[in-house]
Amino acid sequence: MRHYENLVIVKPTLTTEETLVSIQAIEEEITSRGGIIATTNAMGTRKLAYPINKNERGYYHVIYYSIAPSEISEIERRFRINEDILRFVTIKYDTNREIAAWNKLVEKAQKPTSTPAEEAPIAIEEIPVDDAEVEAE
Amino acid sequence: MSEKRKYKKRFCKYCESKVDFMDYKEVGALRFSLSERYKIMPRRLTGNCKRHQDMITIVIKRARAAALVPYTVTRTTVVTAPFENLR
Repeated sequence: MRHYENLVIVKPTLTTEETLVSIQAIEEEITSRGGIIATTNAMGTRKLAYPINKNERGYYHVIYYSIAPSEISEIERRFRINEDILRFVTIKYDTNREIAAWNKLVEKAQKPTSTPAEEAPIAIEEIPVDDAEVEAE
Repeated sequence: MSEKRKYKKRFCKYCESKVDFMDYKEVGALRFSLSERYKIMPRRLTGNCKRHQDMITIVIKRARAAALVPYTVTRTTVVTAPFENLR
């Protein structure tokens, strides 16, 4: 098992549901081959530095995972066939220093996903409270 | 020696801050080693050490592949895509 990171750019023309489905399919391709996904980081739609296949924008998604090195070529072959993917970048984290950096990146990616999820329900809860007060008055 | 240097010879900025690993997704950090036209700045101008220059070239090339940083900037593309990508 070796640590890897995959950045995937999904087509911007898909709807939000379709992008979620295609990203799930991408993640399944990794997990079905015995890969363990540590975290994912959705960077969202952003402007590309240069047009790819006449697309000015793209949906960025980063997956951190560990998998047997022999499976990578098959995953990349599958990614090339997938028409939803504009571009993918696979990066290997091999040396001790790189693995330490990988762990840091995973921690970093986990933190922002946990905090907004906690903040979001609170923000929703606050609004009905205000409404209730207004109604009471 | 009478010729003026365009840039002052400096010590390696990355050695000073003890950078061990660079992430290609943090585009703002790459800006120091990129020229206005997104070329990789040479070591003689930035003062980077060999080790960190090797690291940054790899990282910049990865960022280019991921469409985070442009490969080339011409007159026409400058107008449509100014520095807003590097934040």
